[in-house]
Amino acid sequence: MNAEFLALAQMAVGGGLMGMAYALVAYGFQLTYAAGKAVNFGQGELVMLGAFTGLSLIGIGLPYWAAVPVAMVAGAALGWFVERAAVRLALQQRNEGWILLTIIVGLFGVSAAENIWGRDDKPFPVPWPEGALEFFGISVTWPELAIASGALGIMALVELAKRYTMLGIAVQAVSADPDAAELCGIRSKSAISLSWAVSGAAAAFAGTIIAPVTTVGPTMAAALTLKAFSVAVVAGLDSGFGLVLAGIALGSAENLSGFLLGSGWREAPGLILLILALALRPQGIFGKKIIRKV
Amino acid sequence: MLKAENLCAGYGGDDAIREISIEVSEGSCVALVGANGAGKSTLVKSLCGLLAPRSGKIFFDEKEITGLPASEIARRGLCLCPEGRRVFGPLTVEENLLLGAYPRLPSFGPFRKAASEELKHIFDLFPKLETRRSQQAGSLSGGEQQMLAIGRVLMARPRLMLLDEPSMGLAPVVVKEVFMAIRSLRNSGITILLSEQFARSALVISDKAYIIERGKVVLEGASTDLAKNPAVIEAYLG
Repeated sequence: MNAEFLALAQMAVGGGLMGMAYALVAYGFQLTYAAGKAVNFGQGELVMLGAFTGLSLIGIGLPYWAAVPVAMVAGAALGWFVERAAVRLALQQRNEGWILLTIIVGLFGVSAAENIWGRDDKPFPVPWPEGALEFFGISVTWPELAIASGALGIMALVELAKRYTMLGIAVQAVSADPDAAELCGIRSKSAISLSWAVSGAAAAFAGTIIAPVTTVGPTMAAALTLKAFSVAVVAGLDSGFGLVLAGIALGSAENLSGFLLGSGWREAPGLILLILALALRPQGIFGKKIIRKV
Repeated sequence: MLKAENLCAGYGGDDAIREISIEVSEGSCVALVGANGAGKSTLVKSLCGLLAPRSGKIFFDEKEITGLPASEIARRGLCLCPEGRRVFGPLTVEENLLLGAYPRLPSFGPFRKAASEELKHIFDLFPKLETRRSQQAGSLSGGEQQMLAIGRVLMARPRLMLLDEPSMGLAPVVVKEVFMAIRSLRNSGITILLSEQFARSALVISDKAYIIERGKVVLEGASTDLAKNPAVIEAYLG
């Protein structure tokens, strides 16, 4: 009995730590949604491209510590590109074409990855120590710890910048009222571009911390987009750190359902949660109900 | 200082303003008077860059600003206090004020220190704002929000301040307060262009006024003369 419980707890903890990576990818949705009311449905592709970029950089001899920030810069450039090339055009014409356009840019990303790096999943070398730490009989590996602390670290860093720098406050102003922000001399379009770049950098960072656990391949993108989107919708697109809880819950649920029902059912909880959230509570568990003052 | 020539603008369909020309000279207070829907707001939005005019030209300090983005026009010192206040509801009163000075403040450095003197000046002008400085702007009353919106524009050190319907939706007592604030701004030497439905207050406070009806200037002249004009009295002051 006890051994069985321990195995389940092990599954839940491992999944929960992985789930923080989903939360980080979902956080990217939140950033661009807040600033420009659009999200990148190719976010998973940015994660994948970030991971591949990191892999190539390590391949040419860069240490992991140096490869990660360079991959993040590449991710930022890609995020910026998606906004400039696709999203802005559609939003200027006040239509929902950005949804399809971001998916298309993502598909280009997959094709590019297949051509540059091949279709196969590749291992991602990491400098973390071998072995695992044990807490109350549950073991936690170093890559898992890196995912959790890295994801929380990046989110905390961006949130602090949003609150305690003038630039961050200006970005918040743009999300509250872009026209009024313009009247204060804030270039709303640049603020939105910046949010997309930060979102892209977060995605690339997620790639470089997930890949050591999952390996890296072009197929990782689609599943990640969907999972992160589930997390974002379940938590609410304006929920702040509610994302972390939703991410942990989804990660654990995936592992448990894979363990209890068979590995084919791993993806089920995310989809079920997404459907339930969209049907029952579209503003998210932690989201604020939108009240419009007339 | 500000000059608009034959301005046409609108949203979709017909032009909401047609061939409007106005002029605001430095140090003066000019009023745009007209009923709801006459085109005052469209004119104001075109002047400050929120709406691109379809034809006509706008000059500020002799330089053409037609079609520039609103942020660029604001940075040149032509600053709008928008209709409906438009304070940043989720942000604090202090953050709202700081945002007014955004182009001048360091993006990453100690911005509060850089703006502390100006903040103090605004708080002297509107003491109520100081007591609420860390409160969310959205939680303020309408009158307080209007003061905050004016304070935010002042933080930008405007050379010409555009005020669009500052009395809209406010209780009469509060309207009086707002107009007192505008009067003291005027006396401090700021050039003001005021768009206002309340013709009486607008004509009292301004040097010169334009009466706007159905998207056109129908009358213009010194405010004291307009206040005595029988047509104006019947339509707006009766």
